Amino acid sequence: MNELRPIRSALLDVRNLHTHFLTDKGTVKAVNGVSFQINQGERVAIVGESGSGKSAMAMSLLRLLAYPGKVVSGEINLEGRDLNRLSERQLNEVRGRLVGTIFQDPMSSLDPVMRISNQMIPPIMRHLGLSREKARAEAISWLDRVGIPDAARRIESYPFEMSGGMRQRVMIAMALSCRPRLVIADEPTTALDVTIQAQIVELLKELTAETGAAMIFITHDLGLVARFAHKVGVMYAGKLVEFGPVKDIFARPRHPYTQSLLDTIPPVDQLERRRLAQIPGFPPDMKLPVTGCAFKDRCAGAHRRCFEVAPELEPRGHGHAAACWLPEGLGAGRQMERALIPPMEPAADAGEDRVVVEINNLHKHFTTRSSLPWRKPPTVRAVNGISLRIRKGETLGIVGESGCGKSTVARLLLGLDPATSGDIFIDGMAQMVFQDPSSSFNPKMTLFNIIQEPLVVTGWGTKAERETRVRELLGQVGLDESYMHRYPSQLSGGQRQRIAIARALALKPSVVVADEPTSALDVSVRAQIINLLVDLKQKLRVSFVFISHDLLTVSYISDKIAVMYLGEVVEYGPADEVFNNPAHPYTQALISAVPIPDPEAEEARIQKPLSGELPSPLNLPVGCSFASRCPKATDYCRTHKMVLKPYSKTRETACHYAS
Amino acid sequence: MALISIPLPAHRSIQFNFSSLNGTIRLLSNRRVQLALMILVPILLLTVFRPFLPIPGPLETNLRAMTKPPSFVHLFGTDRMGRDILSRTLAGVQISMFVGFAVALLSLTVGLVMGTLAGFFGGVIDRVMMTITDIFLAFPSLLLAIGLVSVMGTGMLPVVLAISLSDVPRFIRLQRSLVLSLRSRAYIDAARTVKASQMWLMTRHIVPNTLAPLLVAASIAAANAILVEAGLSFLGLGIMPPAPSLGNLIRDGQTYLEQAWWISTLPGAVILLIAISLHFLSDGIRQVLDPRSRK
Ligand SMILES: Nc1ncnc2c1ncn2[C@@H]1O[C@H](COP(=O)(O)OP(=O)(O)O)[C@@H](O)[C@H]1O
Ligand code: SF4
Ligand code: SF4
Ligand SMILES: [Mg+2]
Repeated sequence: MNELRPIRSALLDVRNLHTHFLTDKGTVKAVNGVSFQINQGERVAIVGESGSGKSAMAMSLLRLLAYPGKVVSGEINLEGRDLNRLSERQLNEVRGRLVGTIFQDPMSSLDPVMRISNQMIPPIMRHLGLSREKARAEAISWLDRVGIPDAARRIESYPFEMSGGMRQRVMIAMALSCRPRLVIADEPTTALDVTIQAQIVELLKELTAETGAAMIFITHDLGLVARFAHKVGVMYAGKLVEFGPVKDIFARPRHPYTQSLLDTIPPVDQLERRRLAQIPGFPPDMKLPVTGCAFKDRCAGAHRRCFEVAPELEPRGHGHAAACWLPEGLGAGRQMERALIPPMEPAADAGEDRVVVEINNLHKHFTTRSSLPWRKPPTVRAVNGISLRIRKGETLGIVGESGCGKSTVARLLLGLDPATSGDIFIDGMAQMVFQDPSSSFNPKMTLFNIIQEPLVVTGWGTKAERETRVRELLGQVGLDESYMHRYPSQLSGGQRQRIAIARALALKPSVVVADEPTSALDVSVRAQIINLLVDLKQKLRVSFVFISHDLLTVSYISDKIAVMYLGEVVEYGPADEVFNNPAHPYTQALISAVPIPDPEAEEARIQKPLSGELPSPLNLPVGCSFASRCPKATDYCRTHKMVLKPYSKTRETACHYAS
Repeated sequence: MALISIPLPAHRSIQFNFSSLNGTIRLLSNRRVQLALMILVPILLLTVFRPFLPIPGPLETNLRAMTKPPSFVHLFGTDRMGRDILSRTLAGVQISMFVGFAVALLSLTVGLVMGTLAGFFGGVIDRVMMTITDIFLAFPSLLLAIGLVSVMGTGMLPVVLAISLSDVPRFIRLQRSLVLSLRSRAYIDAARTVKASQMWLMTRHIVPNTLAPLLVAASIAAANAILVEAGLSFLGLGIMPPAPSLGNLIRDGQTYLEQAWWISTLPGAVILLIAISLHFLSDGIRQVLDPRSRK
């Protein structure tokens, strides 16, 4: 069976696609000979590091490339027509009618100053040939299906009046409303919370199954791939290096890159904690010509042939294809390497039980400006009575949807904002590592000055002593001393995060607060930073507060987990217990929303995504704050407040019906 | 008139470093900056070396060469008292440049200090400062200048002060908005977690990152000041004759425009050239600072 031979029923058949960006600094070969087929109703996930050409490939299909981009050659056969040969006008018929698009940032496709109705109805009229009234009814029914409450009224609102999740739904409704044969989605859920992401993924799955549309789904979340895709294409340096059925790819990846990628994910099974695999080095500069395999500099299996001739995508049976000279990739060698990874030391050392952070009944209320001067200004209860303790060397993970107060807790801990009431005791000092790698450093300062700033401000040591300390810190975070005199703009995302960690460690703090430290990073780099944090924790016995919406990472790195909802902790306990056996209905919903990078396991899970979105913290409910979304809520819950109570010896939870 | 409406590059990280060699090279390799310098540098050189040029002094009259059109002896011609227009223009440029530079420096300094305080501390200081700047901004700048000059009398100092008066509020606003966008940066928070003083935050983290956009605004302010000074002198409210300010020159020639076009037109063209090149300069700096503004 030769699965690379074009299948007659293939809906989309892409052959040898090349896309270049003609920039001032040279030609970026973003897509470098990509061929694949998609059948009707098939969902294909495209994964790969950022910059590997995923978006460029997807945009090339409809010639939607931004300015210097150009499809240089290749065939794009959609239902037998070569889109690459169509005129701009003919292609416009295809866009929207035959192919729908969904992007990561809904505002890039929604016109902010136009009502939803004016953006949705005309395309439906044009493409489906309906009258205005019929088209309107159709648009409303789609909005209804994507879960926009009160769709008949909301269709008249403007995009800015909606939340991010809502806009994403509107965009999905728009993409599907003309019943396209193919939907292209570029990271449609990356900016959203897991709960919303789960809703949207379920929705896309249902709706495409219903209309029989095929789908190209670009993501870097391997869990999502496992949950969602029929087939997977792995891109590296502008080429597809592996393509095949999802179960096959996860169970028997053949390309070393795919294999390493899968090894970088924190394991779901918390009993067996080992270091994450990491992919060394950087992807090649796509302006330069590549001889041989593009992955050779980062590949453990690279040999002479890899440096001379580039391997082509070759069939490996069962519809699976890979571009590597080794038939099994790293194969057995990879298993050995994984076994060699030293197991993590047990987290809590006896005798070191000192509590370094104690938070008692912490509140933070923000008073917003009242719209009418005589009205009482509304109060946002961002943090609403939290008590926590962190021991020396312990890592506390804080999880919850965005807006639940995680970052506010971090800022209070760091003393950046004053608390409204309650106390915080810190034995020593709290330092921070923040998410946004671009605003974390003063762009005018060298890395040396950035790292030594805390030392200078506190008058630590002499000039020579400070320099020695900076060198030591750079070594601890795994950066070469030659970086000292560079500027932040010359670093990659992962390197910046290392600098942020070095700066945070300069004064030997007792606790480091890391707010989404890995969210802006690629999977392989994320694994490096997580490994670094784990090493530092063991070596320096420093405590961490690790805040993230990535539950898999949090549960991997943390000893304890606190689950927050609307400014309260609703569950607290050891990470593996909370993750594997959640007690609170909200924790349960959160964890069931997390996609697991294992297609077999995903298939077995029952999906019941949490409905609705986080209520506004402006007017908190009287009873249990989760009651509006809780599947188990009763009238008693709605009227009676619940506080955190012991659930087992090690855990606490805030639900009337837990246990 | 004095428009300082530049987009604020500070919303993104500014990767350009004025002190670094690399930055200077990038600035000098910008087309607009090159064009501006090609015009400004010769004019400046001529102005500085005017006393050594083989031309009469700006106040020297010559009764045998009255109202002569441009020729090899008098490149820009002479006025009705036989004074050399080229010499007078260069002397005028000297005054204009001085006014432009003084206004830019004064507005930048005051705007930097007050805007930083308002943006950084907020609260009462901010509200008082914003109310005052609002009041000043409500007046057209030329009107404000005319008012001040009529109170303080004419001359160099009143002219500089009068023009700065309408620029300072704009610089305060610009600096305040730059500071506000920087104040919540993560690196400021990082410094605050080690209890860095307010002074440290302002001088190390905030002001250095506002300098570049302020310089762009200052070069526009200088261009405008030159034009406003010419306007004031033209109205008889600026530098007093016989001192050869460019505005005075234009006014002198205005009555003879039909018989002797060169008396006002040539100095006018020089003003225009200077103003345009200063705008090119600011455009160029902005392009270098914010690569996204390039087409
Ligand atoms: N507008 C552009 N100008 C120049 N190069 C670009 C442009 N857009 C993308 N690229 C380059 O094309 C390559 C692929 O980018 P992209 O398709 O966005 O990757 P991905 O979606 O996998 O992150 C990268 O090297 C990127 O730098
Ligand atoms: S071809 Fe060689 S370098 Fe490329 S992935 Fe295979 S083994 Fe590694
Ligand atoms: S108290 Fe009631 S509403 Fe709240 S989580 Fe428990 S069951 Fe749900
Ligand atoms: Mg992309």
